[in-house]
Amino acid sequence: MAAPFTRVYRPLWRIITTTTSNGRVRNVSYTRQQWSAQNVKTAGAAASPWALHGAVCVQRLPVVSQDRSPIEEKFMELMQQMELERSLLADHELKLLDDAARMSRKQEEDYDSDEEEDYKDKEIVTAQDLEDVWEQKLKEFQPAPRTQGVNQKDVSSSERCLADSLILLVKKDIGSQKLWLLPQIQWQMGETLRQTAERALASLPGADLKATFLGNAPCGFYKYKYPKDIQKEGTVGAKVFFFKAVLSSHKHLPLEKNSFAWVKKDELQDFLKPEYLKQVRRFIMAL
Amino acid sequence: MAGIVCRTVSRIISSQASCSSSVVAVRHSHWFTSMLSLKTSVPLRAEPKKKKKVDPRREMMMKERLKKKLKRLEKVPPELIPIEDFITSAKSFDETRIREAPKLSFEESERRAHLLKEWSRYKRTQHQTEMDVIQEALEAQRQALDELKLESEELYKAAVSPDTDVFPFQHEGPCYTPPITNYEAPEGKFNDITRVYTQ
Repeated sequence: MAAPFTRVYRPLWRIITTTTSNGRVRNVSYTRQQWSAQNVKTAGAAASPWALHGAVCVQRLPVVSQDRSPIEEKFMELMQQMELERSLLADHELKLLDDAARMSRKQEEDYDSDEEEDYKDKEIVTAQDLEDVWEQKLKEFQPAPRTQGVNQKDVSSSERCLADSLILLVKKDIGSQKLWLLPQIQWQMGETLRQTAERALASLPGADLKATFLGNAPCGFYKYKYPKDIQKEGTVGAKVFFFKAVLSSHKHLPLEKNSFAWVKKDELQDFLKPEYLKQVRRFIMAL
Repeated sequence: MAGIVCRTVSRIISSQASCSSSVVAVRHSHWFTSMLSLKTSVPLRAEPKKKKKVDPRREMMMKERLKKKLKRLEKVPPELIPIEDFITSAKSFDETRIREAPKLSFEESERRAHLLKEWSRYKRTQHQTEMDVIQEALEAQRQALDELKLESEELYKAAVSPDTDVFPFQHEGPCYTPPITNYEAPEGKFNDITRVYTQ
Protein backbone atom coordinates (compact mmCIF):
# COMPACT_ATOMS: atom_id res chain seq x y z
CA MET A 1 0.00 0.00 0.00
CA ALA A 2 2.94 2.27 0.50
CA ALA A 3 3.89 2.35 -3.21
CA PRO A 4 0.70 3.89 -4.64
CA PHE A 5 0.57 6.36 -1.77
CA THR A 6 4.06 7.73 -2.50
CA ARG A 7 3.25 8.05 -6.18
CA VAL A 8 0.37 10.35 -5.47
CA TYR A 9 2.35 12.23 -2.84
CA ARG A 10 5.42 12.99 -4.92
CA PRO A 11 4.00 15.27 -7.61
CA LEU A 12 2.42 17.61 -5.06
CA TRP A 13 5.70 17.84 -3.16
CA ARG A 14 7.55 18.69 -6.38
CA ILE A 15 5.04 21.41 -7.28
CA ILE A 16 5.45 23.01 -3.86
CA THR A 17 9.26 23.11 -4.02
CA THR A 18 9.37 24.46 -7.58
CA THR A 19 6.87 27.21 -6.96
CA THR A 20 8.63 28.35 -3.80
CA SER A 21 11.96 28.51 -5.64
CA ASN A 22 10.53 31.03 -8.18
CA GLY A 23 10.69 34.07 -5.95
CA ARG A 24 9.35 36.39 -8.64
CA VAL A 25 6.01 34.68 -9.19
CA ARG A 26 3.38 36.78 -7.57
CA ASN A 27 0.50 34.32 -7.54
CA VAL A 28 1.85 31.16 -5.98
CA SER A 29 -0.65 28.35 -6.47
CA TYR A 30 -0.51 24.73 -5.42
CA THR A 31 -3.56 22.89 -6.67
CA ARG A 32 -5.60 23.20 -9.81
CA GLN A 33 -8.68 24.43 -8.00
CA GLN A 34 -6.83 27.29 -6.39
CA TRP A 35 -5.26 28.21 -9.74
CA SER A 36 -8.57 28.48 -11.56
CA ALA A 37 -9.94 30.52 -8.66
CA GLN A 38 -6.97 32.84 -9.04
CA ASN A 39 -7.70 33.25 -12.75
CA VAL A 40 -11.24 34.32 -12.06
CA LYS A 41 -9.94 36.82 -9.53
CA THR A 42 -7.52 38.49 -11.99
CA ALA A 43 -10.20 38.69 -14.66
CA GLY A 44 -12.60 40.35 -12.35
CA ALA A 45 -10.09 42.59 -10.59
CA ALA A 46 -9.36 46.19 -11.58
CA ALA A 47 -7.51 46.55 -14.89
CA SER A 48 -3.79 47.04 -14.49
CA PRO A 49 -2.60 50.63 -14.64
CA TRP A 50 -0.34 49.99 -17.63
CA ALA A 51 -1.50 50.34 -21.22
CA LEU A 52 -0.18 47.50 -23.35
CA HIS A 53 1.59 48.06 -26.64
CA GLY A 54 3.04 45.54 -29.07
CA ALA A 55 6.15 46.45 -31.02
CA VAL A 56 8.10 44.63 -33.70
CA CYS A 57 11.86 44.50 -34.22
CA VAL A 58 12.22 43.70 -37.94
CA GLN A 59 15.73 42.66 -38.94
CA ARG A 60 17.09 42.61 -42.44
CA LEU A 61 19.70 39.88 -42.01
CA PRO A 62 23.06 40.22 -43.79
CA VAL A 63 23.11 39.41 -47.50
CA VAL A 64 26.86 39.38 -47.92
CA SER A 65 29.63 38.00 -45.70
CA GLN A 66 31.63 40.37 -43.56
CA ASP A 67 35.16 41.45 -44.48
CA ARG A 68 37.90 39.63 -42.65
CA SER A 69 39.82 41.37 -39.87
CA PRO A 70 43.65 41.46 -40.24
CA ILE A 71 44.25 38.53 -37.90
CA GLU A 72 41.63 36.50 -39.73
CA GLU A 73 43.35 37.23 -43.05
CA LYS A 74 46.72 36.17 -41.70
CA PHE A 75 45.31 33.02 -40.18
CA MET A 76 43.46 32.09 -43.36
CA GLU A 77 46.68 32.39 -45.36
CA LEU A 78 48.57 30.32 -42.81
CA MET A 79 45.94 27.58 -42.85
CA GLN A 80 45.94 27.39 -46.63
CA GLN A 81 49.72 27.19 -46.68
CA MET A 82 49.84 24.47 -44.03
CA GLU A 83 47.17 22.41 -45.75
CA LEU A 84 49.00 22.63 -49.03
CA GLU A 85 52.24 21.51 -47.40
CA ARG A 86 50.67 18.51 -45.72
CA SER A 87 48.68 17.33 -48.74
CA LEU A 88 49.41 14.84 -51.51
CA LEU A 89 49.67 15.77 -55.17
CA ALA A 90 46.37 15.87 -56.98
CA ASP A 91 45.66 14.36 -60.41
CA HIS A 92 45.84 17.78 -62.04
CA GLU A 93 49.21 18.53 -60.45
CA LEU A 94 50.58 15.17 -61.59
CA LYS A 95 49.50 15.98 -65.13
CA LEU A 96 51.23 19.35 -64.89
CA LEU A 97 54.45 17.64 -63.80
CA ASP A 98 54.20 15.08 -66.60
CA ASP A 99 53.66 17.80 -69.16
CA ALA A 100 56.62 19.75 -67.85
CA ALA A 101 58.81 16.63 -68.03
CA ARG A 102 57.67 15.95 -71.59
CA MET A 103 58.39 19.52 -72.63
CA SER A 104 61.88 19.29 -71.19
CA ARG A 105 62.43 16.03 -73.07
CA LYS A 106 61.29 17.68 -76.30
CA GLN A 107 63.83 20.45 -75.88
CA GLU A 108 66.70 17.99 -75.83
CA GLU A 109 68.63 17.38 -79.00
CA ASP A 110 68.21 13.65 -79.21
CA TYR A 111 64.45 13.77 -78.99
CA ASP A 112 62.64 10.95 -80.67
CA SER A 113 58.89 11.33 -80.73
CA ASP A 114 58.43 7.62 -81.30
CA GLU A 115 59.81 6.97 -77.83
CA GLU A 116 56.81 8.56 -76.26
CA GLU A 117 54.80 5.81 -74.72
CA ASP A 118 51.35 7.21 -74.28
CA TYR A 119 50.89 9.94 -76.83
CA LYS A 120 52.14 9.20 -80.28
CA ASP A 121 50.01 10.87 -82.88
CA LYS A 122 47.17 12.12 -80.76
CA GLU A 123 46.57 15.76 -80.05
CA ILE A 124 47.78 16.60 -76.60
CA VAL A 125 45.72 18.83 -74.36
CA THR A 126 48.09 19.86 -71.64
CA ALA A 127 46.92 20.59 -68.13
CA GLN A 128 48.06 24.19 -68.56
CA ASP A 129 45.72 24.56 -71.53
CA LEU A 130 42.87 23.29 -69.42
CA GLU A 131 43.71 25.81 -66.73
CA ASP A 132 43.64 28.63 -69.25
CA VAL A 133 40.28 27.50 -70.58
CA TRP A 134 38.88 27.45 -67.07
CA GLU A 135 40.19 30.95 -66.37
CA GLN A 136 38.52 32.24 -69.52
CA LYS A 137 35.22 30.71 -68.50
CA LEU A 138 35.44 32.27 -65.05
CA LYS A 139 36.04 35.72 -66.49
CA GLU A 140 32.86 35.46 -68.54
CA PHE A 141 30.78 35.53 -65.36
CA GLN A 142 30.38 38.91 -63.70
CA PRO A 143 29.20 38.69 -60.08
CA ALA A 144 27.32 41.59 -58.51
CA PRO A 145 29.55 43.99 -56.59
CA ARG A 146 29.71 43.47 -52.83
CA THR A 147 28.75 47.07 -52.07
CA GLN A 148 25.72 47.79 -54.21
CA GLY A 149 25.95 51.34 -55.53
CA VAL A 150 23.71 52.66 -52.74
CA ASN A 151 25.18 55.31 -50.49
CA GLN A 152 26.12 53.70 -47.20
CA LYS A 153 24.90 56.66 -45.19
CA ASP A 154 21.45 56.80 -46.75
CA VAL A 155 19.50 55.46 -43.84
CA SER A 156 16.20 54.98 -45.65
CA SER A 157 17.46 52.34 -48.08
CA SER A 158 17.37 48.71 -47.05
CA GLU A 159 20.21 47.92 -49.46
CA ARG A 160 22.87 49.70 -47.43
CA CYS A 161 25.50 47.78 -45.43
CA LEU A 162 24.78 44.36 -46.91
CA ALA A 163 27.25 42.75 -44.52
CA ASP A 164 25.37 43.78 -41.35
CA SER A 165 21.90 43.15 -40.02
CA LEU A 166 19.68 46.24 -40.09
CA ILE A 167 16.71 47.14 -37.91
CA LEU A 168 13.71 49.19 -38.96
CA LEU A 169 12.97 52.38 -37.01
CA VAL A 170 9.96 54.62 -37.39
CA LYS A 171 9.49 58.25 -36.43
CA LYS A 172 6.34 58.67 -34.39
CA ASP A 173 4.54 61.38 -32.46
CA ILE A 174 4.45 60.56 -28.80
CA GLY A 175 2.75 63.26 -26.82
CA SER A 176 4.33 66.46 -27.96
CA GLN A 177 7.59 65.08 -29.36
CA LYS A 178 8.57 63.23 -32.47
CA LEU A 179 10.65 60.23 -31.51
CA TRP A 180 12.40 57.44 -33.37
CA LEU A 181 11.01 54.11 -32.18
CA LEU A 182 10.56 50.52 -33.20
CA PRO A 183 7.14 50.26 -34.86
CA GLN A 184 4.54 49.85 -32.11
CA ILE A 185 0.79 49.95 -31.78
CA GLN A 186 -1.71 49.75 -28.91
CA TRP A 187 -3.02 46.37 -27.85
CA GLN A 188 -6.72 45.69 -28.41
CA MET A 189 -8.90 43.32 -26.44
CA GLY A 190 -9.20 39.84 -27.87
CA GLU A 191 -5.85 39.53 -29.61
CA THR A 192 -2.52 38.18 -28.48
CA LEU A 193 0.47 40.47 -28.27
CA ARG A 194 2.06 38.76 -31.25
CA GLN A 195 -0.97 39.69 -33.33
CA THR A 196 -0.56 43.25 -32.10
CA ALA A 197 3.02 43.23 -33.32
CA GLU A 198 1.94 41.84 -36.70
CA ARG A 199 -0.64 44.58 -36.93
CA ALA A 200 2.01 47.14 -36.06
CA LEU A 201 4.12 45.92 -38.99
CA ALA A 202 1.23 45.81 -41.42
CA SER A 203 -0.09 49.24 -40.50
CA LEU A 204 3.12 51.06 -41.39
CA PRO A 205 2.13 53.60 -44.03
CA GLY A 206 3.61 52.98 -47.44
CA ALA A 207 5.68 49.96 -46.56
CA ASP A 208 4.91 46.48 -47.86
CA LEU A 209 7.15 44.46 -45.60
CA LYS A 210 6.74 40.74 -45.12
CA ALA A 211 8.45 39.26 -42.11
CA THR A 212 8.58 35.90 -40.34
CA PHE A 213 7.96 36.24 -36.62
CA LEU A 214 10.23 34.12 -34.45
CA GLY A 215 7.93 32.58 -31.87
CA ASN A 216 5.05 33.68 -29.71
CA ALA A 217 7.06 35.05 -26.81
CA PRO A 218 8.25 38.66 -26.58
CA CYS A 219 11.99 39.21 -26.61
CA GLY A 220 12.06 42.34 -24.46
CA PHE A 221 9.95 45.02 -22.88
CA TYR A 222 10.08 48.72 -22.01
CA LYS A 223 7.82 50.52 -19.60
CA TYR A 224 7.46 54.23 -19.20
CA LYS A 225 5.18 56.49 -17.22
CA TYR A 226 3.09 59.10 -18.87
CA PRO A 227 3.81 62.70 -17.86
CA LYS A 228 1.46 63.74 -15.06
CA ASP A 229 -0.82 65.92 -17.14
CA ILE A 230 -1.64 63.10 -19.56
CA GLN A 231 -2.15 60.40 -16.97
CA LYS A 232 -5.78 59.38 -17.28
CA GLU A 233 -7.72 57.63 -14.59
CA GLY A 234 -6.13 54.31 -13.97
CA THR A 235 -3.34 54.41 -16.56
CA VAL A 236 0.01 55.23 -15.07
CA GLY A 237 2.00 54.56 -18.18
CA ALA A 238 2.58 52.07 -20.94
CA LYS A 239 4.38 48.77 -21.32
CA VAL A 240 5.77 47.96 -24.72
CA PHE A 241 6.56 44.33 -25.54
CA PHE A 242 8.96 43.73 -28.42
CA PHE A 243 8.72 40.81 -30.84
CA LYS A 244 11.49 39.70 -33.15
CA ALA A 245 10.91 39.20 -36.85
CA VAL A 246 13.11 38.44 -39.82
CA LEU A 247 12.46 40.29 -43.08
CA SER A 248 11.51 37.71 -45.71
CA SER A 249 10.64 39.71 -48.83
CA HIS A 250 13.45 41.84 -50.08
CA LYS A 251 11.67 44.40 -52.23
CA HIS A 252 13.54 47.59 -52.87
CA LEU A 253 10.68 49.84 -51.95
CA PRO A 254 11.83 53.38 -51.39
CA LEU A 255 10.56 54.43 -47.99
CA GLU A 256 10.06 58.02 -46.90
CA LYS A 257 13.30 59.43 -45.69
CA ASN A 258 12.16 61.18 -42.60
CA SER A 259 9.85 58.56 -41.20
CA PHE A 260 11.71 55.26 -41.82
CA ALA A 261 15.28 54.22 -41.13
CA TRP A 262 17.26 50.99 -41.54
CA VAL A 263 19.88 51.16 -38.84
CA LYS A 264 22.80 49.04 -37.66
CA LYS A 265 23.15 48.22 -33.95
CA ASP A 266 25.95 50.73 -33.34
CA GLU A 267 24.01 53.49 -35.07
CA LEU A 268 21.01 53.03 -32.80
CA GLN A 269 22.38 55.49 -30.24
CA ASP A 270 22.02 58.33 -32.76
CA PHE A 271 18.32 57.66 -33.07
CA LEU A 272 16.87 56.30 -29.85
CA LYS A 273 16.48 57.83 -26.44
CA PRO A 274 18.96 56.53 -23.82
CA GLU A 275 16.52 54.64 -21.59
CA TYR A 276 14.73 53.09 -24.54
CA LEU A 277 18.04 52.24 -26.16
CA LYS A 278 19.25 50.49 -23.01
CA GLN A 279 16.35 48.04 -23.14
CA VAL A 280 16.40 47.56 -26.89
CA ARG A 281 20.12 46.85 -27.10
CA ARG A 282 19.75 43.81 -24.85
CA PHE A 283 17.92 41.67 -27.35
CA ILE A 284 19.43 42.91 -30.61
CA MET A 285 22.32 40.63 -31.47
CA ALA A 286 24.78 42.03 -33.97
CA LEU A 287 27.82 39.80 -33.74
CA MET B 1 -1.76 -24.94 -76.84
CA ALA B 2 -4.57 -27.39 -76.12
CA GLY B 3 -2.11 -30.25 -75.97
CA ILE B 4 0.01 -28.43 -73.40
CA VAL B 5 -3.05 -27.77 -71.32
CA CYS B 6 -4.02 -31.41 -71.50
CA ARG B 7 -0.62 -32.56 -70.40
CA THR B 8 -0.50 -30.20 -67.43
CA VAL B 9 -3.95 -31.28 -66.41
CA SER B 10 -2.86 -34.87 -66.58
CA ARG B 11 0.13 -34.22 -64.33
CA ILE B 12 -2.00 -32.47 -61.75
CA ILE B 13 -4.42 -35.34 -61.50
CA SER B 14 -1.60 -37.89 -61.37
CA SER B 15 -2.36 -38.86 -57.77
CA GLN B 16 -5.59 -40.29 -58.84
CA ALA B 17 -3.76 -42.40 -61.39
CA SER B 18 -6.55 -43.82 -63.29
CA CYS B 19 -7.08 -45.25 -66.68
CA SER B 20 -8.59 -41.99 -67.87
CA SER B 21 -5.41 -40.01 -67.20
CA SER B 22 -3.24 -42.56 -68.88
CA VAL B 23 -5.58 -42.49 -71.78
CA VAL B 24 -5.24 -38.71 -72.03
CA ALA B 25 -1.47 -38.92 -71.80
CA VAL B 26 -1.17 -41.73 -74.25
CA ARG B 27 -3.70 -40.50 -76.76
CA HIS B 28 -1.34 -38.23 -78.58
CA SER B 29 1.57 -40.67 -78.76
CA HIS B 30 2.24 -42.33 -82.10
CA TRP B 31 2.38 -45.81 -80.61
CA PHE B 32 -1.33 -46.13 -80.76
CA THR B 33 -3.93 -46.29 -83.34
CA SER B 34 -6.94 -47.20 -81.29
CA MET B 35 -8.13 -46.41 -77.84
CA LEU B 36 -8.94 -49.99 -77.00
CA SER B 37 -5.47 -51.36 -76.57
CA LEU B 38 -4.63 -49.35 -73.48
CA LYS B 39 -2.83 -51.67 -71.22
CA THR B 40 -0.20 -52.69 -73.65
CA SER B 41 1.34 -49.21 -74.06
CA VAL B 42 5.15 -49.09 -74.15
CA PRO B 43 5.85 -47.10 -71.03
CA LEU B 44 3.35 -49.19 -69.11
CA ARG B 45 4.94 -52.37 -70.33
CA ALA B 46 8.53 -51.31 -69.69
CA GLU B 47 8.47 -50.51 -65.99
CA PRO B 48 6.51 -52.14 -63.26
CA LYS B 49 4.01 -49.61 -62.07
CA LYS B 50 4.99 -47.86 -58.87
CA LYS B 51 2.79 -48.03 -55.86
CA LYS B 52 0.50 -45.09 -55.47
CA LYS B 53 1.04 -44.44 -51.74
CA VAL B 54 4.77 -43.95 -51.67
CA ASP B 55 4.93 -41.49 -54.60
CA PRO B 56 3.22 -38.54 -53.00
CA ARG B 57 5.06 -39.16 -49.74
CA ARG B 58 8.42 -39.25 -51.44
CA GLU B 59 7.63 -36.08 -53.35
CA MET B 60 6.59 -34.40 -50.14
CA MET B 61 9.84 -35.42 -48.47
CA MET B 62 11.87 -34.10 -51.37
CA LYS B 63 10.05 -30.78 -51.26
CA GLU B 64 10.62 -30.44 -47.53
CA ARG B 65 14.33 -31.15 -47.85
CA LEU B 66 14.66 -28.54 -50.58
CA LYS B 67 12.79 -26.02 -48.47
CA LYS B 68 15.06 -26.63 -45.49
CA LYS B 69 18.13 -26.14 -47.64
CA LEU B 70 16.72 -22.89 -48.98
CA LYS B 71 16.05 -21.65 -45.42
CA ARG B 72 19.58 -22.43 -44.36
CA LEU B 73 20.94 -20.46 -47.29
CA GLU B 74 18.65 -17.54 -46.64
CA LYS B 75 19.65 -17.32 -42.96
CA VAL B 76 22.99 -15.80 -43.91
CA PRO B 77 22.95 -12.12 -42.77
CA PRO B 78 22.94 -9.59 -45.60
CA GLU B 79 26.25 -8.04 -46.55
CA LEU B 80 26.84 -4.65 -44.95
CA ILE B 81 26.79 -1.67 -47.29
CA PRO B 82 30.30 -0.16 -47.28
CA ILE B 83 30.59 3.46 -46.16
CA GLU B 84 32.59 5.05 -48.91
CA ASP B 85 33.78 7.94 -46.72
CA PHE B 86 35.57 5.55 -44.38
CA ILE B 87 37.49 3.69 -47.07
CA THR B 88 40.77 5.41 -47.92
CA SER B 89 41.21 5.14 -51.64
CA ALA B 90 44.35 3.53 -53.04
CA LYS B 91 45.36 6.89 -54.50
CA SER B 92 46.36 8.10 -51.04
CA PHE B 93 49.00 5.38 -50.74
CA ASP B 94 50.53 6.14 -54.10
CA GLU B 95 54.17 7.01 -53.57
CA THR B 96 54.47 9.18 -56.65
CA ARG B 97 52.10 11.67 -55.05
CA ILE B 98 54.18 12.57 -52.02
CA ARG B 99 54.93 16.28 -51.90
CA GLU B 100 58.34 17.39 -50.72
CA ALA B 101 58.04 18.87 -47.26
CA PRO B 102 59.49 22.38 -47.29
CA LYS B 103 62.12 23.29 -44.73
CA LEU B 104 60.88 26.11 -42.55
CA SER B 105 63.28 28.67 -41.20
CA PHE B 106 63.35 29.36 -37.50
CA GLU B 107 61.63 32.73 -37.96
CA GLU B 108 58.87 31.17 -40.00
CA SER B 109 58.13 28.46 -37.47
CA GLU B 110 58.18 31.06 -34.67
CA ARG B 111 55.79 33.28 -36.61
CA ARG B 112 53.45 30.36 -37.11
CA ALA B 113 53.48 29.41 -33.44
CA HIS B 114 52.77 33.01 -32.39
CA LEU B 115 49.97 33.36 -34.90
CA LEU B 116 48.29 30.17 -33.72
CA LYS B 117 48.38 31.36 -30.11
CA GLU B 118 47.02 34.78 -31.06
CA TRP B 119 44.27 33.09 -32.99
CA SER B 120 43.22 30.96 -30.05
CA ARG B 121 43.05 34.09 -27.88
CA TYR B 122 41.03 35.94 -30.51
CA LYS B 123 38.63 33.04 -30.88
CA ARG B 124 38.21 32.78 -27.14
CA THR B 125 37.24 36.43 -26.78
CA GLN B 126 34.87 36.09 -29.74
CA HIS B 127 33.20 33.07 -28.15
CA GLN B 128 32.95 34.86 -24.81
CA THR B 129 31.23 37.87 -26.35
CA GLU B 130 28.82 35.59 -28.24
CA MET B 131 27.90 33.75 -25.06
CA ASP B 132 27.42 37.01 -23.17
CA VAL B 133 25.19 38.44 -25.89
CA ILE B 134 23.07 35.29 -25.90
CA GLN B 135 22.76 35.33 -22.11
CA GLU B 136 21.73 38.98 -22.19
CA ALA B 137 19.04 38.30 -24.78
CA LEU B 138 17.71 35.34 -22.79
CA GLU B 139 17.62 37.44 -19.64
CA ALA B 140 15.73 40.21 -21.43
CA GLN B 141 13.20 37.66 -22.65
CA ARG B 142 12.77 36.17 -19.22
CA GLN B 143 12.11 39.55 -17.67
CA ALA B 144 9.66 40.41 -20.44
CA LEU B 145 7.73 37.22 -19.76
CA ASP B 146 7.66 37.97 -16.01
CA GLU B 147 6.26 41.43 -16.67
CA LEU B 148 3.68 39.98 -19.03
CA LYS B 149 2.64 37.51 -16.36
CA LEU B 150 2.07 40.40 -13.97
CA GLU B 151 -0.15 41.99 -16.57
CA SER B 152 -2.43 39.15 -17.56
CA GLU B 153 -2.34 35.38 -17.37
CA GLU B 154 -4.10 34.92 -20.72
CA LEU B 155 -1.56 36.86 -22.68
CA TYR B 156 1.22 35.10 -20.81
CA LYS B 157 -0.17 31.69 -21.68
CA ALA B 158 -0.54 32.72 -25.31
CA ALA B 159 3.05 33.94 -25.35
CA VAL B 160 4.43 30.79 -23.76
CA SER B 161 2.47 28.39 -25.98
CA PRO B 162 4.58 26.77 -28.72
CA ASP B 163 4.51 28.22 -32.21
CA THR B 164 3.99 25.54 -34.84
CA ASP B 165 4.60 27.75 -37.87
CA VAL B 166 8.12 28.86 -37.09
CA PHE B 167 9.66 25.43 -37.92
CA PRO B 168 10.84 24.42 -40.47
CA PHE B 169 12.58 27.79 -40.68
CA GLN B 170 14.42 28.57 -43.90
CA HIS B 171 16.70 31.48 -44.67
CA GLU B 172 19.34 31.92 -47.37
CA GLY B 173 22.53 32.81 -45.61
CA PRO B 174 25.08 35.45 -46.62
CA CYS B 175 27.26 34.70 -49.66
CA TYR B 176 30.39 36.46 -50.86
CA THR B 177 28.53 38.55 -53.46
CA PRO B 178 24.89 39.62 -53.37
CA PRO B 179 22.40 37.88 -55.69
CA ILE B 180 22.05 39.33 -59.18
CA THR B 181 18.49 40.49 -59.86
CA ASN B 182 16.70 38.56 -62.63
CA TYR B 183 19.63 36.24 -63.20
CA GLU B 184 19.03 33.22 -65.43
CA ALA B 185 21.36 30.43 -64.50
CA PRO B 186 22.70 28.53 -67.56
CA GLU B 187 21.31 25.05 -67.99
CA GLY B 188 23.81 22.35 -67.38
CA LYS B 189 23.78 18.60 -67.15
CA PHE B 190 25.75 16.27 -64.96
CA ASN B 191 26.40 12.54 -64.80
CA ASP B 192 25.45 11.10 -61.46
CA ILE B 193 28.07 8.49 -60.62
CA THR B 194 27.00 7.70 -57.05
CA ARG B 195 27.11 4.00 -56.34
CA VAL B 196 23.81 2.53 -55.18
CA TYR B 197 23.99 -0.58 -53.04
CA THR B 198 21.09 -2.98 -52.55
CA GLN B 199 20.94 -5.61 -49.86
